[in-house]
Order: sequence, then C-alpha cells, then structure tokens
Amino acid sequence: TLKSTQPNHELNLLSMQPVTELSLPSLVDMGFTDSQAEQLYDATSKLKGGAAKHALSTLTALFVLGLNPSNVLKLLEKCPELYTIKESQIQQRIANIRKLGLVEGSLQRVVSHYPQILTVPVKTVKNVVVFLREKCLFTAQQVTEILRDSPAVVLENMGQLEYKFQYVYFRMGVKQAEMVKSRLLRFTLEEVRCRHCFLERRGLYQTPDKKGQTVILNPKLASILKGDEDTFLTDVANASAEEYDVLKRMMKREWWEEEQLQGTIEAN
Amino acid sequence: EKWATTRTKHPATSLALQYFDATYGVQLGQLWPSVRAALLSERKYGALLNNCSNDDVLANLHAQGSKDFLSDTEGRSPPCLEQEPEVVSEEESSDVSVSDLDGQQRSPLQLSTNIKCLVFPRGDITRFKPARPDICGLLGYYLMDAASVLPCLALDVQEGHSVLDLCAAPGGKTLALLQTQFIGFLCVNDTSVSRTLRLRKVLQSYVPKPLLSDQKLCITSFDGTKWEERNTFNRVIVDVPCTTDRHSLMEDDNNIFSKSRTGERQKLPQLQLELLLAGIIAACPGGEIIYSTCTLSQIQNQSVVEQAVHTAQEVHGIHLQVVDLRPLTRMFRKTFHFAPDLHLGEMVIPHLAANFGPIYMCKLRRLT
Ligand SMILES: C[S@@+](CC[C@H](N)C(=O)[O-])C[C@H]1O[C@@H](n2cnc3c(N)ncnc32)[C@H](O)[C@@H]1O
Repeated sequence: TLKSTQPNHELNLLSMQPVTELSLPSLVDMGFTDSQAEQLYDATSKLKGGAAKHALSTLTALFVLGLNPSNVLKLLEKCPELYTIKESQIQQRIANIRKLGLVEGSLQRVVSHYPQILTVPVKTVKNVVVFLREKCLFTAQQVTEILRDSPAVVLENMGQLEYKFQYVYFRMGVKQAEMVKSRLLRFTLEEVRCRHCFLERRGLYQTPDKKGQTVILNPKLASILKGDEDTFLTDVANASAEEYDVLKRMMKREWWEEEQLQGTIEAN
Repeated sequence: EKWATTRTKHPATSLALQYFDATYGVQLGQLWPSVRAALLSERKYGALLNNCSNDDVLANLHAQGSKDFLSDTEGRSPPCLEQEPEVVSEEESSDVSVSDLDGQQRSPLQLSTNIKCLVFPRGDITRFKPARPDICGLLGYYLMDAASVLPCLALDVQEGHSVLDLCAAPGGKTLALLQTQFIGFLCVNDTSVSRTLRLRKVLQSYVPKPLLSDQKLCITSFDGTKWEERNTFNRVIVDVPCTTDRHSLMEDDNNIFSKSRTGERQKLPQLQLELLLAGIIAACPGGEIIYSTCTLSQIQNQSVVEQAVHTAQEVHGIHLQVVDLRPLTRMFRKTFHFAPDLHLGEMVIPHLAANFGPIYMCKLRRLT
C-alpha cells in the first residue's frame, strides 16, 4: 500500500493549492493514515491563535524534501515549532543548508534527526560556519561533515564551542581531522573533559609537547568518545564505574569553583 | 590560548609525578593507575573529635552526614572491596612471618580508646567546615587524613603509659593520642622550631591548660636522631619526614622533588632509619614502637624497617618482634583501601571513593 500512496500524495500536493486551512481530509489526501491525520490535526489545533497558519507550507516543504508521512509526523512531534515558520524562511534555510554541501540523502537525514535546524535563521548558521572555518580552521569539507554528523552545533553557544575546540586542540593536542572523525561536537565540553581528565590522572593520556610527541601512546579521540560510559570504562579507562562517578562529581565542583574564582577576579 | 600549557618546563610536581610513575608503576603494578588518579584528585579528610570541647560537635557532624569510622566496623568485608584471601585461621596465620625477621605475633586488639574520627561515607565528597571554638576557646575537631589515626590506634596506648612522639609537628597524631586520655606522660618533639611552635598552638587550641602541665607533657625541639633517653617509654611513635607523596604532586612550593632538594631527598631513607633506631632505643624493653610515613615508597617504608630491625639487633643488641596489624586493617576495610600482600607492615592506599592516605605503618615490639 505504500507504493500506491506515493503518487497519490504528489497528486494531492498539486491539487491542494487553494486549501489554506488544515482539515482531516486534506491531511489524509497528503498521504497520512487516518490516525496520523488525527494526531497531526490535534497537534495543530492545540497551537494557539494563528500559530499554525504556516503548517501547510511546512508540510509541503518537508514532503518536497522527500520525507514520507510517518517521518514528517515524527519530526513534527519532536519539533512542533516548525508549524509556525514562514514558507519563505523555511525555503531559504533549506537552500542554505544545501549550499553548505548537505545534498540529498544527508539533507533528509539531518532534517529528520535534527528538525530544529530549520528553526535556526540563515544568519546564525552562517555565523557558525564562519566561526568553524576561521576560528577553528576547519576546511569546507570538514564543516559539511560537522553539520551532517553534529547539526546541533548550529544552536550551541559560541563561547562554549570555542572553549571546547581550544580544550581539545591545545590541552589534548588533537587536530581538526581527528575532531571531525570522532564527532567531537556531539559531546558536551563536560563529557569530553571528564573522560580526558580521568584518563590523564590515571596516566593514560598526555598532552603532546611542541613537537607533538608524548611518552605514552594516547588513545584516539574517537575511541575515547565513542560508546557509552561502560564501554569507555572497560575499553579505554580500565576503571570502575564507582571511581569515575566520584571523579565526575569532583571535577564538576572543581570547575565550578574555578569559574567562581574567575568571576571574582574579573569583578575586581 | 586558554589551554596552552603555561607551566614552567620542569616544575617539581611534574618531576614528582615522573618519579612516581617510574617507581610505583612497578611497585603497585595494576593498582597504580587507580592510586595515581586518587593522588591527583581532592583528598578526603577526617574530623578528629576533640573530647575536651564543650559543644555538641558530634551531633552536628552527624547531622551533616559524617560518621565515626572507628565504630563503623564490620566483621565481614562488604562485597565491593577486594577480599584478601582468608584461607588461614587466626592461629595458623601467625607463622606467616617476615622472612628474615622474627615471626609476626598476633595481638588481639581491643580498641577501647576514646578516639572518634568522623568521615563522610564512601564516594561522598562533601567537605568539612572549619572547626569553631567553644566558650572556652577550644576547637571542636581537628581536620586530618583519617588514615593518620590508624598508626595512633595501632600504638595501643594503655592507662598510665609514658609515650614519646618523636616527630610530632604539626600535631595531628599527638592530638589523637591525647584523646585516649590514657597517657601518663607525653613527650612531643620536632626538630623544627617553627613547626614546634605551631604544634604548641595546636595543642593550646584543643587541650585545656591543666592537661598541658609540665608533669604531664613536655614539648621539645631536638634532633630526634640524637635522642638520649634510653629504655624509657612504653610507647613510641616515629612519624618520619618523607617524600609526602600527595603534597609533592600538588604543591610546587617547598617541594622535596625540586632540583635544589635532591640531596635532602636522597638522604631521607638514612634519616628515617636513624629516627626509627632512636625511637627503638628510647622505648623500654617490652615497649612498642610505631613507624609511619605518608609515602608509598618501599625504600622509605619496608626497607627502613628491615634495616632498623637488623641494626638494632646487630649494633645495639635489641631484639625486636614485628607485630601483625592485620586485625586492625580487617576492622577498618570498610573505610580504607589497604595495599594487598605487604610483606611488612600495612599501608592505606588512596582510592577515588575513599581518598585517604597514603599512610604506611609498621609496629615493632621490643623483646629485650
Ligand atoms: C610527617 S611530619 C610529622 C607529622 C605529625 N606526626 C602529625 O601527625 O601531625 C614529620 C616531621 O618530622 C620533623 N623532623 C624532620 N627531621 C627531624 C629530626 N631529625 N628529628 C625530629 N623531627 C624531625 C619535621 O619537622 C616534620 O614536622
């Protein structure tokens, strides 16, 4: 039945032009099942006032990307904000992301995994890209990979982002290519620092000297970050969860105290 | 730029770490990474309760979530701690002796001391607040490494004993010993005049004047290696200067691993040996001696004791027996991590969840 809905829904998209209000039948016409249509309809009618007036253009834009009805439903549940975005804006944002190198396939995947990316103004995305290119010296190709693997980067606080980059670059001695490969920007600074500091205190990680050399062989950033905590503990740190748990709490307090100290110094 | 290493090329703390990696990596093997991480992380304190304080400090400390570790003992070890092999029965194990020393003798431990030392539970990183003076100006508790209480317990002071604390400043162990309220006469000594002054201040902040009278207490600043009294004290504690591992990893100031102090550091084992021998000689026949350090170093711990036992016999004709401290460690393994399989003495090793120590201790009894 999936096959038969596809042409049907394209057809309806064309004939739908004059419809400005969402109705159950129009949703079913777009290819949603009865219950999906009801779900969507409920969701939009819960939005106050004219908040949902762009719902239709949003749905259209998502279908044009080639997403199927259940994908669309799922990502709208994740990010109901999309109902309220102007048609022209959504088009611009998609066009901008395409321009950054996320072509078909990657584009769909990014939008369905991280629909929030369409709520971010073009200018913000551009700023992040400039930051990644100019401050962190990632290549254009690397920036595309970052957007594909860690799209949430577009909403991250730039200060935090800079801090994280510098920490990994200077403190851990890791270069851009390895950062991209390890999907570094998916992780919070705190996670990265905790894992790194734990390894460092256990004697398993060393900051490379000016020539990039260390006495011990550091584990790759990718192997440090990949996997959940248990995997990290057994495969990389070779330590107990109890020890790591204590360390994390301790580090949090240490950093908090450093920040307080920094604050009082700056205030003086 | 924020993370660029701005440190000087070879600060003493890095030299210490390099040295420890090389020696303890071999000495502790598999345990070293865990001990290393603990040493480089915030330590835990214990609050030694001052029995002389008028305030209800205990209730207050309990309310904050800390507990007296001395009453927090269990016959059986909790499952989370590594179990030492307990194949031998109490009697049989007494012949698990130290190779060229005399057989360790098991002494039943009755800990009827008045010492209370509060610690936050395993894994809890809460800190103690600084102690406050009561109406008489005495402080309610003294913050110290809780593991430092163990050598004082091991000393096993009995009613009326005369006790010598040969390297006493700043006085944490002295205070713990005084809490027993058993001591007949106490001699506290430290070669450093400034540190002895500090010790005096500490005692004044914790102990009521009458208990500090000349008939009960004597504070001196002698070089302990030249201690002249012989065959005098029932109990002697020799808490020697050492590489103070934790301090050496954390503070560049006044660090024993700084280049300028290399000579002093290399002479430590010799100084430790001389201090221990002086302590042995100052004890009376039948008297007991505790040797303790806050380093993990075998050269400063077991080797010094071995050498001292040998020299006491050969040069001074003093026959010594090593006293088994396993009953003590067994009692407190809920609170501390002890090094497994030490051939001589016992050692608290730091662990992130119980970040006390390092404390090494060995107990000797004078047979002649
Ligand atoms: C580990 S500290 C003692 C800590 C003390 N027992 C406590 O619990 O607070 C070692 C002390 O030995 C002292 N010392 C160093 N050389 C000495 C010597 N030759 N005779 C006596 N004391 C000495 C140092 O001044 C230092 O205060």
